[in-house]
Amino acid sequence: MATDYWASSHHRRWIVDRHTLNNARAEDLEYATHEQLALLGVFFATVISKLGKRLGLRQRAIATSVVFFRRFYLKNSYCDTDPFLVLTACCYLASKAEETPVHLKTAIVEARSLFTGEDYNLKQFPSDNSKLAEMEFYLLDDLECDLTVYHPYRTLLAMCGKDNPPVPEDDAEAGELGKPQHDGPRYWGTGIGKLDLEEGAIQMAWFVVNDTYRSDLCLLYPPHLIAVASIFFALTLHPSSRSAVDSSLAFSSSHPPSNAGGRASHGQPKRSTVVRTGDELILFLAGLNVSMPLIASIIQEIIAMYSLWNRMSEGRADWAPQSSMQRKGKSNSSPIKQDDLVTPVALTQFVLEMRERKERDVAHPPSAKPTAINKVLERTQAAG
Amino acid sequence: MLPYDPMRAYRHKRDAAHQAFNTKYAMLGFISSGTYGRVYKAKTRDAEERIYAIKKFKPDKEGEVVTYTGISQSAIREIALNREISHENIVALREVVLEDKSIYMVFEYAEHDFLQIIHHFSTTVRAMVPPSLLKSCIHQLLNGLVYLHTCHIQHRDLKPANILINSDGVVKIGDLGLARLTYSPLQPLYSGDKVVVTIWYRAPELLLGARHYTKAIDCWAVGCVMAELISLRPIFKGEEAKLDHKKNVPFQKDQVVKIFEVLGTPSVHEWPGLPQFPEYLNMKALDNYPPKLTEWCTTRFRSKDATDLLRQLFMYNPENRATALEAFNHKWFSEDIKPTRNAFHGLPPNHCPPLRKITQDEASLAHHVPASNNNNPAYNNPNSKPASWKPASGQNFGSAFGVNTAVTMQVPAGNNSGGSRKKPRLE
Repeated sequence: MATDYWASSHHRRWIVDRHTLNNARAEDLEYATHEQLALLGVFFATVISKLGKRLGLRQRAIATSVVFFRRFYLKNSYCDTDPFLVLTACCYLASKAEETPVHLKTAIVEARSLFTGEDYNLKQFPSDNSKLAEMEFYLLDDLECDLTVYHPYRTLLAMCGKDNPPVPEDDAEAGELGKPQHDGPRYWGTGIGKLDLEEGAIQMAWFVVNDTYRSDLCLLYPPHLIAVASIFFALTLHPSSRSAVDSSLAFSSSHPPSNAGGRASHGQPKRSTVVRTGDELILFLAGLNVSMPLIASIIQEIIAMYSLWNRMSEGRADWAPQSSMQRKGKSNSSPIKQDDLVTPVALTQFVLEMRERKERDVAHPPSAKPTAINKVLERTQAAG
Repeated sequence: MLPYDPMRAYRHKRDAAHQAFNTKYAMLGFISSGTYGRVYKAKTRDAEERIYAIKKFKPDKEGEVVTYTGISQSAIREIALNREISHENIVALREVVLEDKSIYMVFEYAEHDFLQIIHHFSTTVRAMVPPSLLKSCIHQLLNGLVYLHTCHIQHRDLKPANILINSDGVVKIGDLGLARLTYSPLQPLYSGDKVVVTIWYRAPELLLGARHYTKAIDCWAVGCVMAELISLRPIFKGEEAKLDHKKNVPFQKDQVVKIFEVLGTPSVHEWPGLPQFPEYLNMKALDNYPPKLTEWCTTRFRSKDATDLLRQLFMYNPENRATALEAFNHKWFSEDIKPTRNAFHGLPPNHCPPLRKITQDEASLAHHVPASNNNNPAYNNPNSKPASWKPASGQNFGSAFGVNTAVTMQVPAGNNSGGSRKKPRLE
């Protein structure tokens, strides 16, 4: 069923464990560290978002592009491919999969102007339509024709959606504002009721969901868990929601439930008659039928992604309280030979070097004889 | 110095791992064609020799050279939706093969379709479709449609030619090339496709220029299909007004009149949203027609329940029209004659529709089947039975059709070769 996550291709074929993910990175890991690859993951998600905005894609289509990109690199390596061409094909294909098609010509013209401009300073990028269309063809095959992608936005709106989505229409990053439809039971089966969040907090959660695409989370966890983790995250970032939760937590720790009959010193009536906002939030989240340890590890990954992202000079999450999350980058573990901020140009250069080093190794392997793929290459080169 | 091509190694890796279509399937013959490409009958090249229908999307040509020009929206839709769904009454997609700039979608094969059944009964049997067959066909069609609608998929091109039925009498809804997921669309449906549903099966709200429409358009089409199975001709057989040179969609006056002639002119009372439609004034300019559906029904059959189901499916106001589920649960299906899982159950042999005709399509067969001198007379005998049809293993089919002739296969005596009616198609 196209609206049943558990029966979807997304769930059945495209949620992988970390072991599979690491295996898929094996070849790239010969040319980069885990951390550098994670940084590239953040980087390319940012590039896709930029290109997507130039193409006028909505947030959901951008998110689908990123998922396609990450799925593609479950089977392929940065050092064997041109990620800029791949990501352009991802945007082009996702625009069609999300029923907001862009023209092939538009896609290649915009991509070329973005990538060869000063932001990325890419020396070579095809200008020929057919190159992109060819890439789309191979991409569709590598994606095994699974084009329907589920996103946390849907869960978010279903859990705390108001009739009018909270995110301003003109904020392109905020994106997809489809009105949730409720003509079926919710698939995580927690019963009735919605989370009554302040608009600002919903908005915050929405932005956190946007940011999760800069990590591998969309390959590792089902979208509804990512949505729940984003709500937790938003509650700690959104000042008034946080203070509501804090006061409830402080209250319940000093007044265990058995003793909740009323404390004159607080001037609070009985709990059964007035439920404070913070209590409701806590009860709602605690009542969800999801694994809290899983939610906690997703939150850990989001934090790790933010600290990685904060080392980049481009497009950081300005709204996030960076001071609390940003850890001082240790210069000896810095992937690209720069201590503080990593620029897009440097990352572009880095990924090109990965490919060049791979090509050199294939042509002149340090120990063994040339690999089979090299023979294929030689044959083609001789022929063409 | 080669031109810059960082993806060369990748393509070689992929191409080396690719299993050629040709080694997996042998094309048996050509079934039909459309704007998207062509449909073939094929069998697997293994001991089981299972039969499939292959939908091949034609590669675009720039001059004589075939180049990559981007995959069509229709192919993307059909692939994306079919990969997610699975239901007995929907044609199943076995796999998609991407090769040589072409897309091959491998579907389960169905021997018949509703159009063929209608044609068979109107020209060969010269009698009405028996109630058991009619009821089973509609019930299974609705069962498939309930599934699609539950998945938030609008089919948007239901018509007899797109509703298949296999030799076990199981109905299979096919061709999701115009279908789409309607769950939180990013933009209005209208901005994607200006014209949906083949004209004779197009719901009144679409004909009146609705910018927003619902799954109810599919239910209208089911009503049209049911009426066509009953009367053996399209109930609303209007002439389509073509798009003008600016691709503006004209008012489909003739089609609207054809509907009014049977159902009467709709009133604002029964359809309060009527004056808001863009074509309302055009509609008002037409003559006033009285409703005649009851008359239409009583001259054709006796079942009051069948009349009621048709009436429910032909409600002008889409909000009052029966949903697929309501129609599926309609009391007509629990009347004395019950629908059967095998729609052909209990039919006399001469009522069973003929096998699907396949013809040779030189261009594609020449490409897929190596030349051979083997010949099996059975293939050339149009009256041979299916059992004798199966080729000896290892033998190929191409030569059997003869060269340069389009041989019609499996046409029982008495059936003229079809094509007597002009089939409208959504371009």
